[in-house]
Amino acid sequence: MDTLSRRRFLKLSGAAAVAATAPMLTMEQIAQAAQMRPLPLGTPILVVITLYGGNDGLNTVVPYTDPIYSQARPDVSYSPSDLLPLDNQLALNGSMTGIKSLWDQKKVAIVRGVGYPDPDLSHFTSMAIWQSASPIHQVNSGWLGRWLDTQPRDPMLAISLGSVLPPLLAGNSVAGSALPLGGIVVPTGTLALDCQRISSVSRQDSTLMASAATSLRNLFDLSSTITPILKQPAPQPLDLPAASGGVAGGSSDLQQQLDVVAKLVAAGSPTRIWAVSLGGFDTHANEKGAQSALLGNVSGSIARFMSQMRATNREKDVVIMVYSEFGRRVKANASQGTDHGTSGPVFVIGDRIKGGFYGDQPSLTNLIAGDLAVTTDFRDVYASLIEGILKSPADTVLGNWKGRTDFLVKT
Amino acid sequence: MNLERLEISRLFHRFGFGPKPGEFANAVKQGVQTTRTQLLNPPAIDHGLAAVPDPVLTDLGNFPQTGTPARTAFDINMRTQRQGLTLWWLDRMALADHALTERMTWFWHGHWATSIGKVEYSLPMFTQNQTLRTYALGDFATQARTMVLDGALQYWLDGGANTVSAPNENLAREFMELFTLGVDRYFETDVQAVARGLTGYRVNRSNGSVSFIPKNHDARTFSILGTTGTFNATQISDLVVARDDCTQFIADRIWFRFISSTIPRPEANPIQAAFASRNISKTILAVGSSDAMSDPQYSLVKSPVEWFIGLCRALRIIPSQLPKPEQVINYLDKLGQVPFVPPNVGGWPAGEAWLTAASAQYRLQVAQYLLAHGDLTPIKSVTPSSRFRAVSDLLGIANWSLRTERAISDASNDPTRVILLAASSPEYIVNA
Repeated sequence: MDTLSRRRFLKLSGAAAVAATAPMLTMEQIAQAAQMRPLPLGTPILVVITLYGGNDGLNTVVPYTDPIYSQARPDVSYSPSDLLPLDNQLALNGSMTGIKSLWDQKKVAIVRGVGYPDPDLSHFTSMAIWQSASPIHQVNSGWLGRWLDTQPRDPMLAISLGSVLPPLLAGNSVAGSALPLGGIVVPTGTLALDCQRISSVSRQDSTLMASAATSLRNLFDLSSTITPILKQPAPQPLDLPAASGGVAGGSSDLQQQLDVVAKLVAAGSPTRIWAVSLGGFDTHANEKGAQSALLGNVSGSIARFMSQMRATNREKDVVIMVYSEFGRRVKANASQGTDHGTSGPVFVIGDRIKGGFYGDQPSLTNLIAGDLAVTTDFRDVYASLIEGILKSPADTVLGNWKGRTDFLVKT
Repeated sequence: MNLERLEISRLFHRFGFGPKPGEFANAVKQGVQTTRTQLLNPPAIDHGLAAVPDPVLTDLGNFPQTGTPARTAFDINMRTQRQGLTLWWLDRMALADHALTERMTWFWHGHWATSIGKVEYSLPMFTQNQTLRTYALGDFATQARTMVLDGALQYWLDGGANTVSAPNENLAREFMELFTLGVDRYFETDVQAVARGLTGYRVNRSNGSVSFIPKNHDARTFSILGTTGTFNATQISDLVVARDDCTQFIADRIWFRFISSTIPRPEANPIQAAFASRNISKTILAVGSSDAMSDPQYSLVKSPVEWFIGLCRALRIIPSQLPKPEQVINYLDKLGQVPFVPPNVGGWPAGEAWLTAASAQYRLQVAQYLLAHGDLTPIKSVTPSSRFRAVSDLLGIANWSLRTERAISDASNDPTRVILLAASSPEYIVNA
């Protein structure tokens, strides 16, 4: 098919996962994988947090001393006293006390103005670009899925929380696993034997039927390892007040997801990549209250998770990346909100990170059609994480991409 | 592979929600042509739907202050109405004798994906659902014109907040990108211009009525997609829907949901020619009669609701009559798909996104739950050696692999196990 129709078609599929054939495992492999084989201590672990809807970067990392900021969005801007200053130009949203505290400990890299050339203002196209890491040629694999393609097949290696698989974990020949929040209940007795029989891949299967068979088969492989661990309590956060838990307004869905991740990391799950997400960032109307509550959840959940990690021996191994499909327009709209925009900040957090700012802050005066310029290509961040955290050559995932962002502590 | 059986299976599962007991075997006897004519042409009256009364939905008005007894009563009413609305639609899907209209309403719901998660009130969601049903097989231009002023859609995409003083682009962008033209078939300046033309509509959120406030409308002259003039919502809808890009886009969407979500539509294809008229019924006839229908490469994953309703129809289950109907919605939530709650304005994913270990687990649980309450007579009433054949006709399966055939045959003494295996098999989760 020609590239144009292919590109058009793949775009139509929106942010749906377009995985290739999922891993085919034999019963012997399943039996082996079901035995505990803890991730060796010191192996870096990547936790990817996707913020769906287009998070307003300008109200996350706020250029609070630039007069144009409040002039462009009088009803959708913050006064300095509501913010958490990081230096004399930029401040965090006032709800992000947890991340501010990690920043003060030099564990937070804020990469500014991140995006890709010729930004697309569609949620679906832009998220597909971020998740596939291919801005020009549409590809039907995710960037972390392509990394999975290079690894020995193991359904534990990359896990997404929730029952639907995000495209970033779909490779060309392998896909990551999806784990529901409540954990996996494995069939037993006759049902188990029956399921195993109908989940062997048949030569008569279409590609999709083979994937359906494999998904049922992976249920056994995942569950035998994960179920006992999920019954354990989540690791106790060490240095956060027990009552507040760090999340204003109580438990959030993101916190629940990260609690499951914390339990499994603490138990030594042989998982190198975790994918969690939070939606609701499409703040076309009444942005301030809504976004601030969401950012409070993100910040509090991350602070709690990092604190849980300190209660384990994995605290030095975990690195978190937080991104969204785009930032928002500099100028507010009339409904106290902002419309779709371009670049935004990416957060990279952990003990292996050199805290501080990376990339240039996009100017509020040199706008491109009313939108912020892209000052850092997102592939710089990905390439640095693939090399520094996944310890693999970046070219298998990103082709010949040369840019890097130097936020990793030299080891 | 038996291509005749394959095509009949596709007609039942893709243009309906699967056969009711006896229908598939009967269709195989009658042949593809007769089955196609029957399944693609809805009758004037559907007797199966006579048993499904419309939900009782009243305008609940504004949210009372939190913490008051009035608010408690209000919250209960909101919950009850929402559950009633969801079960009403599931019942219609499960009980319709001729399921094409419900199937098309379901397709259009995923297309104009509006979530009750933001709208909250059931009444406007019901009104929208009825609109989608009225135009499910009608004229797309009329459908689009009605939908652009639909209260639930307007609220969902901040239409009411879009005024002349500073437009809100949410509805304008999604109208072109997701509902009519497809991405990259317009410029950013067109998004801004359409947003201006869509200014001035105010939504009553609790009942979904939309009124026009002239002073909030941008009545100046500007250009949209190369046409200069003054515009209101209806004119914009007509202008956009008349474009050739709309033909391409809707043809692609129909292909994606009815033929294949993994293999692109060939450039020359009867769907596109048929949709040039904007006549949806004609387009669906063209899809259902095309060569693609008997081409084995185009298998399609059933979404959770499609899989669930297929089992309800085969087992004669009325979702709202299950002992704890709220459990049904709970299960659908775990499977990742509840009617009226799409994940975002792009609608639900397709294909492999539904094929995870997590969804495999929940499908087993849901199938066991339905089997405990369903009518197993079609399997129980036949001898064990005939059950393998009987279950493939009951569920409308084209062909079994040797793997599944053996597993089911070995379980043939236990009717529940026979249906559970068939319902959980790759051959049923994926429509061949």
